[in-house]
Amino acid sequence: MRRPQQASMNHDVDVPPDRHYDEARHLWAQHDASTGNVRVGIDAIALESLGDLAYVALHEVGTAVTRGDTVGSLEAAKMTTTVVAPVSGTVIARNDAAMTDPSTINQEPYGAGWLVEIAPSNWEQDAADLISGEAIAPWVVAELERLRPEDRAS
Amino acid sequence: MPWRLIEDDGVDAAAGLAADELLAQRLGAGTSPPTLRLYTYRPHSALAGRFQNVDNEINVAQCDAHGIEVNRRPTGGGAILMGPDQLGIALTMRGRGDGQLAKPRTLMQRFSAGIVQGLGMLGITASFRGKNDVEVDGRKIAGLGVYRDPSGGLLYHASLLVDLDVALMAQVLRMPFVDLDDRELAMLATRTTSVRAGLHRAVSVAEVRARMAAGFKSAFAVQLEGGELYSDEKAGVAALVDTKYGTRAWVHQDTTVEDTTGGARTRTASGAIELRVAMAGPTLKAVHVRGDFFAADAAIIDLEARLRWHPGARDKITATITEWAQAHPAESVATDALIDTIEKAVRQASGEPYGCFVTPEQSHA
Repeated sequence: MRRPQQASMNHDVDVPPDRHYDEARHLWAQHDASTGNVRVGIDAIALESLGDLAYVALHEVGTAVTRGDTVGSLEAAKMTTTVVAPVSGTVIARNDAAMTDPSTINQEPYGAGWLVEIAPSNWEQDAADLISGEAIAPWVVAELERLRPEDRAS
Repeated sequence: MPWRLIEDDGVDAAAGLAADELLAQRLGAGTSPPTLRLYTYRPHSALAGRFQNVDNEINVAQCDAHGIEVNRRPTGGGAILMGPDQLGIALTMRGRGDGQLAKPRTLMQRFSAGIVQGLGMLGITASFRGKNDVEVDGRKIAGLGVYRDPSGGLLYHASLLVDLDVALMAQVLRMPFVDLDDRELAMLATRTTSVRAGLHRAVSVAEVRARMAAGFKSAFAVQLEGGELYSDEKAGVAALVDTKYGTRAWVHQDTTVEDTTGGARTRTASGAIELRVAMAGPTLKAVHVRGDFFAADAAIIDLEARLRWHPGARDKITATITEWAQAHPAESVATDALIDTIEKAVRQASGEPYGCFVTPEQSHA
């Protein structure tokens, strides 16, 4: 588990501690111990920066991905970017409802706004590269301190 | 590190777009330098936004008849028509320590500084406004977009109107609202302006290009070194044309977000508000406002500009209309009634297929 430098635990963004986070791309990965599968979505910090999503496209079920591969793309305020797999494996489900109405992702990023589900090929190894547990809160504070000043200065 | 400056004319759409994406990809990977491309497309190219349904935005039959190339940008936003009098500006660079997360508006504003300074050198006072436009006296002169490659490279895109063939654009690009009267059509033409219109002289594209280069050099405090694509970049562009930009799967891909239109009319003490909305899923693509009580056309233009590519949620609309009303204190329209009317139109659009205001022969549901 990655452990960033400790910082204040007070923040106003919802980043639930029950899942792992890709620290660079601000995606969450929630491992279901009963199925072994990993559900993936965008965290609230990323959505605060991106704003309202207009479009989301996700790769088809059956696509094999390596951690870092593109599994989709999205558009917010005329900026397009890619969604990158936080774990390696095979896409076994995608959220077609979120593709039809991307506002679901803004409204419920950790619930109905999930993106894809991946059957991981090496969860333990990938999880070690993700933020989780006690490391989440200080990471969130550090990210907000890093990102919000730039916005205020613009 | 100096930036590479590449100048081209008559660029093929697929190759031009492939080069832009490839340079962003390679910049992120550290194999290409930051590059500013100032180029024109061959006459003409109709380019849809990354996620748009081409058939809803572009009259492909007209394009085929006129030899106009149709393609899809990697960047977002609406469809545009590019040719010898529209300068394409593509800049690839890294984010400024912002990882994956700088806000789109922040990135667009940073990019716009080069265009604004270049226009200033030409004698045109322009400014960045809204989310992603460069405007002159409230009229759009350049539209901006950003693509973030998985490698971390950023591609900034802009189309700068040196001039605009309104008649050709009307033939090739589908209007979201087609049953407009002459006055409304004339007013639509005032939504945009061009370098030549701003300067009242026949300025050449070459002169505009030179000023844009100087504008970016000044705004970003960099040196520009003239160059061209490296041989391995040319090979990469050709490969990307073969696998992506030259394929029907890329150009004519479908999106799951449905295009819809709606309309609403509200009678108030000071007059009637009538408006139509064109939506992409939950997002307002365009709003057309009719009303005999607006004091100034500029207020309507500003209102429509603020609502372009805007969330359709009522709270977001309310915030934007409140800001608009503060910017136009002379307007007597009741903001509550205006917000209600927009919401009604949005709700109607939610239950209507694309083209509910389109005549049957032009419908593309």
